[in-house]
Amino acid sequence: MSRPSQWIAIVVVAALALLPFLPGAVDAYYFSFLFFVFLYAVMAQSWNLVAGYGGQISLGSHAFFGLGAYTTAILWSGNYLWGSLYDSHPNIYYFDPVTMLLGGFVAALAAVLIGLPLLSKLHGDYFALGTLGFGEIVKVIFVNGGDFTGGAFGIVAPASSFDTLRPHYWVGLGLMVATALAIRALMRSRYGLALIAVRDDEMAASANGIDTLKVKVAAFAGSAFIAGVAGSLYTFYIFHVGPDSVFDLDWMLLPLMMTVVGGTGTLLGPILGALVMYAVFDLARIVVPDYHPVISGLTIILAMLFLPKGLMRSFVGKARTA
Amino acid sequence: MVNLPPPEILLQLSLNGALGGAMYGVAAVGLSLIFGTMRLIFLAQGAMIILAAYFVRALFYGLGVDPFLSLLIVVPVGLGVGWLIYQGLFRQAAAEADRNVSLLIAVGLMFLVQNLMTVIWGGNTAGVVTSYTASGIELFGVRTSFTRSMGFLIALSGTGLVMLFLRKTIVGKAVRAASEDMDAATLMGISPHRVNAIAFAIGISLAGAAGVAVATTFPFNPFAGFIFSLKALVALALGGIGNVTGALAGGILLGLIEAYVQFFISGGWTNAIAYGVFLLVLMFKPEGLFSRPYKKA
Amino acid sequence: MANRLLEISDLEVAYGDVGALWGVSLHVDPGTIVALVGANGAGKTTLLRTVSGLLKPKAGDIRLSGQSIIGKAPQEIASMGIAHVPEGRGLFRQMTVLENLELGAFQPKARPRTKELLEKAYTLFPRLKERAHQKAGSLSGGEQQMLAIARATMSEPSLLILDEPSLGLSPLVVQQMFALIQTLHGQGVTILLVEQNIHQALKVADYAFVLQTGSLAMQGTGADLIADPEIQKAYMGVLE
Repeated sequence: MSRPSQWIAIVVVAALALLPFLPGAVDAYYFSFLFFVFLYAVMAQSWNLVAGYGGQISLGSHAFFGLGAYTTAILWSGNYLWGSLYDSHPNIYYFDPVTMLLGGFVAALAAVLIGLPLLSKLHGDYFALGTLGFGEIVKVIFVNGGDFTGGAFGIVAPASSFDTLRPHYWVGLGLMVATALAIRALMRSRYGLALIAVRDDEMAASANGIDTLKVKVAAFAGSAFIAGVAGSLYTFYIFHVGPDSVFDLDWMLLPLMMTVVGGTGTLLGPILGALVMYAVFDLARIVVPDYHPVISGLTIILAMLFLPKGLMRSFVGKARTA
Repeated sequence: MVNLPPPEILLQLSLNGALGGAMYGVAAVGLSLIFGTMRLIFLAQGAMIILAAYFVRALFYGLGVDPFLSLLIVVPVGLGVGWLIYQGLFRQAAAEADRNVSLLIAVGLMFLVQNLMTVIWGGNTAGVVTSYTASGIELFGVRTSFTRSMGFLIALSGTGLVMLFLRKTIVGKAVRAASEDMDAATLMGISPHRVNAIAFAIGISLAGAAGVAVATTFPFNPFAGFIFSLKALVALALGGIGNVTGALAGGILLGLIEAYVQFFISGGWTNAIAYGVFLLVLMFKPEGLFSRPYKKA
Repeated sequence: MANRLLEISDLEVAYGDVGALWGVSLHVDPGTIVALVGANGAGKTTLLRTVSGLLKPKAGDIRLSGQSIIGKAPQEIASMGIAHVPEGRGLFRQMTVLENLELGAFQPKARPRTKELLEKAYTLFPRLKERAHQKAGSLSGGEQQMLAIARATMSEPSLLILDEPSLGLSPLVVQQMFALIQTLHGQGVTILLVEQNIHQALKVADYAFVLQTGSLAMQGTGADLIADPEIQKAYMGVLE
């Protein structure tokens, strides 16, 4: 980013961070709207890392989101980490960064375990199909997980309500900013160059001494980590984690769509795409409640027909790949 | 120790599995054609099948057209709709060879079709009940449902017709050539848009035929299509991507796997095992289980 | 010039790091064999792929019998009379020899005469008739190359483009290949030939162009270039 746009970004983030102090903001509709935009932007960055920068189309993000969500729900409801604290305040609800990170780590671990065989054997569409199959398998495992996963019903966290959405909002905003900064730093590092090299020409990258499998698996795991943390945040919001909710394909399809609409392989594209697409979906939900999924479908088709390169490349100046 | 059930049960299982699997197979044949020329995973195929099922249901309850007779309407309409879908939605993306865009258009179409169906027909499970829905016939000494057998027949003859087209006509050969190497095909004077449109037309008309089979056999709802698309993908991988008869065989194999897993293990694990087999095949035999490798001279 | 079959002027193509073209002009007269030679990465394949429409040029013009073919799709250019046998042959390996040949006559103007053209191809390539129902992928390398050329002749092209026809073939088969090229030439087929086997290519060529890192370095009749000491030093010394 150039200097002026850096300042713009800092001002925008600061304004968003101060927004909860605005009287009435917390109860306003746009407050929860923004929370979801943050959540989807994080998911979109996750997909963009592996698909946009890494060139490996993954159709399994929902599995990593769900793994993060379940990890959080299991740790939380089982009081595995800070049992005594919960025991004394059974209804207190709080964000626990350790749990969130563990949610990310479990997802990343799964990504390494599945990524090593898949990425060494499968390329292009076959990898995409493989990740789709993996996602379905994970879902079935959780449905059949017995008491540990709560079966088809899932797990209800030991909290029932929260007083304010403020913490969610800040954590969501923080995650979105942190993810963007981390990916920006990553793509300027040697590793980022290697990732781009592998995407553009795997053979040439490998001939230049890059361990392509390692690079691809690392990107896949990084992407899964981000998705897992996002899933964890969602658990803290929704309290009830079930196979049909957190392993829903929408957690993969919508971020994918947002990234492509915003601009694949750009840093701000996923954020812009999340904002625009979520606004369209939500607006349709409010204005034409009976037809809103129809409108969503139409919007995707129209966006792809008329803006196939994404908003970042079509409107917001020249494409920046890193 | 596993006690093997009596042979009649095994036969019954195999027959049910094969008959049900043929539906995955016919969906997979359509996917295979579209993937062949466009390298597009047409995720909306299942939704198109369900749309056809609703169409068949409307013809039956609205105009009294027998579901199997409605094949005569659904298949040609499918050809036209497929051609229109390609020209209207995918032509541009195909020209720019942007596969992310095509994939997303397919996803958008899936959303659109699913939800249009919900708006028009409601989200509840629907079905087609005719005078012969409950009737059975005897096959290989085992009783099975008449409509399932008809569905199997539709799948078989649909695939057979597609095979004839691909093997015997020059346009069909052009479609096969384009699936193998699009650049080389264009050097022969073959227009990519033409073969893509043909693949789509046939793919959607097969979805129409599958819709007839589904409507007469299963209860369905607007969102049942996605699972169908996934199962068709598994069938496709089992049969070898781009192999049309393999896709049908893959569907039947998947139906058998599901029937056996359901009986011997548990219904809850059917999908996981089906996708597990799918992953193993993708990794260790990506050319599919039924491909015949030829010797190089 | 009105009687030129193919006229390329100031062609510029951007194509990765190697293989780009910077203002190349060349021409092919009807009834001749023209060779395009040069080192790896000089841009030979890029030029051929641009002529047949598989790549889009940045600037310059390509005219076929006086008519510009810039911006036309490959299938349109094929129908205008250019048959391109690409590097690696571009055979449909899963399809039979016969099917490959039939597809060679896919264009509307050749299709009604498929039978007749097939007979013609079989007389020139009797081996292919024996193998008509085998899959193309099961043929030997030499047979595959023959099939690729036979398939290209099925459209009765006004210009036949051959990209590295001798690549990967044994010396004996290479000899057969060049004999075949001369036979086709004798039948009046115009040929644009890219070859790494520079000595052989210059021997059969009426005229030749030498490409060097995307630009034209030299041109002349095949015989002149063979005798040129610089060419001998730069290319043939290494290869022969």
